[in-house]
Amino acid sequence: MTQHTTLRLVFWAILVAFLAWDWAGSKPVDLRLEPPLIAAGSGQAATGGHCSMPD
Amino acid sequence: MKRLPLAAVLAVFTGWLLWSVSTRQAALFAVGLGLGAVLAGQRFGFTTGWRMLIEQRDASGVMGQLLLLALAAALAMPLLGHYPELTAALGPPSVSLLVGAFVFGLCMQIADGCGSGTLYKAGLGIPMNAAILPLFALGSFLGSLHLGFWLDLGRVQPVGLVNQFGWVQALLITLAALALAAVAVRWYVGRASQAAGQAPKPLLVRKWMLGAVLLALLATANLLIAGQPWGVVYGFGLWAAKLAQATDAADLAGNWFWSQGGNAARLQETVLMDVTSITNIGILGGALWVSAGKATTAKPLNGTQWAVALVAGLALGYSSRLAFGCNVGAMLSGISTGSIHGWIWVPLAFAGTIFGLRIRRHFGF
Repeated sequence: MTQHTTLRLVFWAILVAFLAWDWAGSKPVDLRLEPPLIAAGSGQAATGGHCSMPD
Repeated sequence: MKRLPLAAVLAVFTGWLLWSVSTRQAALFAVGLGLGAVLAGQRFGFTTGWRMLIEQRDASGVMGQLLLLALAAALAMPLLGHYPELTAALGPPSVSLLVGAFVFGLCMQIADGCGSGTLYKAGLGIPMNAAILPLFALGSFLGSLHLGFWLDLGRVQPVGLVNQFGWVQALLITLAALALAAVAVRWYVGRASQAAGQAPKPLLVRKWMLGAVLLALLATANLLIAGQPWGVVYGFGLWAAKLAQATDAADLAGNWFWSQGGNAARLQETVLMDVTSITNIGILGGALWVSAGKATTAKPLNGTQWAVALVAGLALGYSSRLAFGCNVGAMLSGISTGSIHGWIWVPLAFAGTIFGLRIRRHFGF
């Protein structure tokens, strides 16, 4: 295994570990409150965070 | 790793998102995969395009970006006009925008990647960009901690062309301004090539044109599904904020940015519910898929180059938070949805890029 491949595996291992830690420690997902598949036409305002919006 | 087993892993993860998180997030992950595959497959780098224009008088990358902006605007503005639940990427013109855009443009040349560029190159397995990614996230988080201070230095309310003039006029204004920019770029390369005694390079190159069309379609899919334009930087800041919260490294409840209702709520939810985070993860996965089975080559760096690149990565994250986005959130999403802050961002980031290229050359990148 090359050094390059090892570094790559480390990167993905850290990312997957972070996602698993976050999933385990966060508020459980309530599937009954699932957002609409397509926001356009749903009548529900977008509520996601975006870098252009400070508040 | 080969592409087929990797595609199976990505399909299983998409299915798990569908089952355990939401159909919307699974769909956005698929959009992210597409974005990553196009960015990495076509090597559609915003940073590279600007560098090619300045250093090689090659405008093909910038022309691809102008086409992307025009197509994205032509698709997004009618949607914004027809569906009131969709939001534009409206950032406030402010002191923080001026400073942040300039510093971002400077640092993206040193770090060899903007927000999307850092993501797809990290996905491709390029060591420098993979190492920069966590520092980008930390910088974005630090920027969010200080954003209240920066906004107190001076800001006005965001200006959206679609709100102000309606989508038809907003689109005509945007397309006219982009056409003017294309004419100016063509004039510059023609004059610069003549001065250098060289024939001008082709303006329209297939890889950039195809990349522009595909990215415009995927950015529109993001808008339709998420209800807001494509963004990158917010997700990075959120990841670092969650770590800071878990380790009590910062008082987020008392912070101006993180005590806002939406931001505070997102700190309690999994990042897999965040629309920006899920497309970011998808971009990494899409780029990984492109790189599978191929050897990725990267120029080895010396110690000084590593140190400079990592500092630039940190500043990249900080400045993108101040500038209300990177080439994606501010430039592409801002301009294509009619935000004036996108038009302010571009000249300042371009000015920063001119300085960044000199620093890049100085350190021998």
